[in-house]
Amino acid sequence: MSFNSRRNLFFLGMLGFGVLYLWGLKGLPDFGRYEGVYGITLNKVAVAQTHATNLVAAVTFDYRGFDTLGEEFILFAAVVGVAILLRAQRDEAATADEEAEESKDESRSAPHTSDAVRVLGLALIGPTVLFGLYVVAHGHLTPGGGFSGGVVLATAALLVYLTGEYVALRRVSPESLTELAESVGAGGYAAVGFLGLLAGQAFLTNVLPLGTTGQLNSSGTILLINLAVSVEVAGGFSLILAEFLEQTLLVRERKHG
Amino acid sequence: MRVLLPLSVAVPLVAAALLLAAPQSWVRRGFDAFAVAAAGSVMVICSVLLAGSTREPMVYWFGGWLPEGGVALGLVLVAEPIALALATLAAFLVTASLVYSWHFFDTTGNLFHVLMLVFLGAMIGFCLTGDFFSLFVFFELMSVAAFSLAGYKVEEEGSLQGALNFAVINSIGAFLVLSGIALVYGRTGALNLAQIGESLAGAPVDGLVITAFVFLIAGYFVKAAVVPFHFWLPDTYAAAPTPVCVLFAGIFNVLGLYAIARTYWTMFDGVLGAELVNLRTIMVGAGAVTAILGALMCWPQRHIKRLLGFSTVSHVGMFLIGLGLFSPVAFAGTIVYLMTDGLVRGSLFLCAGILLHRLRSVDELGCDGLGRSIPFTGILFLLGGLGLAGLPPFGTFVGRALIGEEAARLGFPWVTYLMVAVSVLTAAPVLRAGARVFWGFGPGADYNHRSEAEGDEEEPETTEAHETTPPLMWVTAAALLGVSLVAGLVPDLPVRLVPAAELFLDRGAYADLVLRGVTPHKLPLPPGAPLLEGAVTGVIAALAAVVAAAIGLWHAKLPASIRDSITRSLGPAFGGVRALHSGHVGDYVAWLTVGVAVLGGLLAATLG
Repeated sequence: MSFNSRRNLFFLGMLGFGVLYLWGLKGLPDFGRYEGVYGITLNKVAVAQTHATNLVAAVTFDYRGFDTLGEEFILFAAVVGVAILLRAQRDEAATADEEAEESKDESRSAPHTSDAVRVLGLALIGPTVLFGLYVVAHGHLTPGGGFSGGVVLATAALLVYLTGEYVALRRVSPESLTELAESVGAGGYAAVGFLGLLAGQAFLTNVLPLGTTGQLNSSGTILLINLAVSVEVAGGFSLILAEFLEQTLLVRERKHG
Repeated sequence: MRVLLPLSVAVPLVAAALLLAAPQSWVRRGFDAFAVAAAGSVMVICSVLLAGSTREPMVYWFGGWLPEGGVALGLVLVAEPIALALATLAAFLVTASLVYSWHFFDTTGNLFHVLMLVFLGAMIGFCLTGDFFSLFVFFELMSVAAFSLAGYKVEEEGSLQGALNFAVINSIGAFLVLSGIALVYGRTGALNLAQIGESLAGAPVDGLVITAFVFLIAGYFVKAAVVPFHFWLPDTYAAAPTPVCVLFAGIFNVLGLYAIARTYWTMFDGVLGAELVNLRTIMVGAGAVTAILGALMCWPQRHIKRLLGFSTVSHVGMFLIGLGLFSPVAFAGTIVYLMTDGLVRGSLFLCAGILLHRLRSVDELGCDGLGRSIPFTGILFLLGGLGLAGLPPFGTFVGRALIGEEAARLGFPWVTYLMVAVSVLTAAPVLRAGARVFWGFGPGADYNHRSEAEGDEEEPETTEAHETTPPLMWVTAAALLGVSLVAGLVPDLPVRLVPAAELFLDRGAYADLVLRGVTPHKLPLPPGAPLLEGAVTGVIAALAAVVAAAIGLWHAKLPASIRDSITRSLGPAFGGVRALHSGHVGDYVAWLTVGVAVLGGLLAATLG
């Protein structure tokens, strides 16, 4: 199909799609008139039942915890997928002949890291880790939790790279360790599910003591799941980061070394 | 027993996590054995559940959040026979392809096995869940695992291109499904399938209901590869590793159809049921177009995996006809058909994989006669071709007969003829390719054939041609074929399936089971349907396929006048259809949007 006919066909289809979508949206309740039975019911009972003040966490990690287990494994599968798709490229780079490398080199070499970036990055590593841990640990109380906190923690790994060298990053997050984190995080979530079975209850039942609402140590398994998710997310993002950096840096490293 | 339900999803996922943590120093066989053991135990779990569910369907509420007053707070798995039959098939196919890959890849770490297990867990969750959003989560999980598995042969450009097309088109499909879910949630404030069904029942059919339904159907059409949402499929199948193709062809596509049946019968039947006649016409029409287009594309292929890809599209069209008749008997027939046919196509893919392993190519003309050294694989391949044609006692003939009879009863007498013609057209090129590759029938390689795939695009999945074929490889292929054959020999298979299908299609019984814990009445077994006619049709179809294959092999010997008239009458159709499959993902997206618009227009005009 030529560019023009493809474009015309696409816009014709999109026109129909757009009309249909607007027609559908017209049927939604008006702004401010929320009548959803699920949301209204949860708003009434969730804090009392789960002792979590962040209702999003109560829904994602308790009422609908099995969904979130699936979502965590989506990230898990995506990270493993990145590792699979980038694996041969690495061998390929290792065997590429020098000449092809020279031409690639120009586009791949990064400018020297300035001292300002190094100092600021170094100064930020500690606070970033602390903030990440805070977000993870308070997921059941305030907005945040394992998914967002885990990404903040993975940012610390990026800062290590910015401040030092790629080698330093590999030292603080070797592939085996990040893979282990992936595995422990994803498997840990499932293990919490088995905790319910061991206690003679349903899978993923919140069997731990719920504690006092509003306290850090409360809401039972929600806190535990948040910790597991943060390990998985931090490990996963570090692994992705390392895989991509390896692609880019392999050539550069060899030129200098 | 009930506790097996969460385990059927949790076991493969935990096994995947454990396998990722296994040290790389493990020997290769360690990964293989662990993965096979995990998938095998999931298969056992699913079969035990299947046996139990035929006696008494069950539900499992996660976290102990039981529904109160018809409002579901938590998530539920529903064990009913149809869902479990598909879950068992998925576990069987994953186990088989893991056994097959034992010798298939020359180099592999644990990552392939990890993703296969995640894929399995996702498929089982998808089959068993009774929650609308969980259905989407497992849809996504399945897709993410599938994208990477499809692109596994990264060293090859076609593989990444195929995986990319797959990812782009399927992500748009997922977007459509999510939008549909959002609209339904906005209206009902519920995510439990049964609860949504009760909330929608009796409501007026308005723009929101129609749009949501169109988006959901279109999104699942992408996954099932219904025309014009199917373009990603041949590119992906041609390039994906063979053990993955087995899963795609055997179960992945038909789960899209399963989702449509689930969506309609649990949620939309109460609101759209009054317009069932129109809906039936649209679905049967879409199925017929898909079946015909897929069949037309099969004939000119010389790349065997691509050929099998188009035969999948074509057969999905026939399953859609069965599903779209919206009747228990036709649905029972569809389930038999898609399961037995999936096994046959899976087996054909495994045979194609043996060719790749042995000859480093799956090009029909390039391999002319080269398969003589592996006649046993050749026999399996030809048997598979006859299974596609619906030769008794392959279970395929049972399914086709049930759908055909029911279609005639509902006013679509042409469906039987269409299905026979389509099975002949998809089986004949398989028989042609088999006879040429394994026995060297037909003119030699200098023979000039118009074709889709020029030469050996396919990189071998193994680093070099092998002198021998490990027995495990053809044993797996034979096992798949054998199960499909045995299914056709079970004399009262349709009789047993019809009550299960009736339960699946009974919105009230499903809601009672899920929301109120009421076990449905055991339905009496209906009198056995005579399948003799279907068996005769099957024999005729198989013979016709053999004749058509012979014409394909020796058509140069036909009188020039006949040859010309064939070329004149069919040539433009083949050419036109072929030109649409350009490999350009932008074209595919354009067709997808047009498909949504057309589907929306049709449904709006007939239902609104």
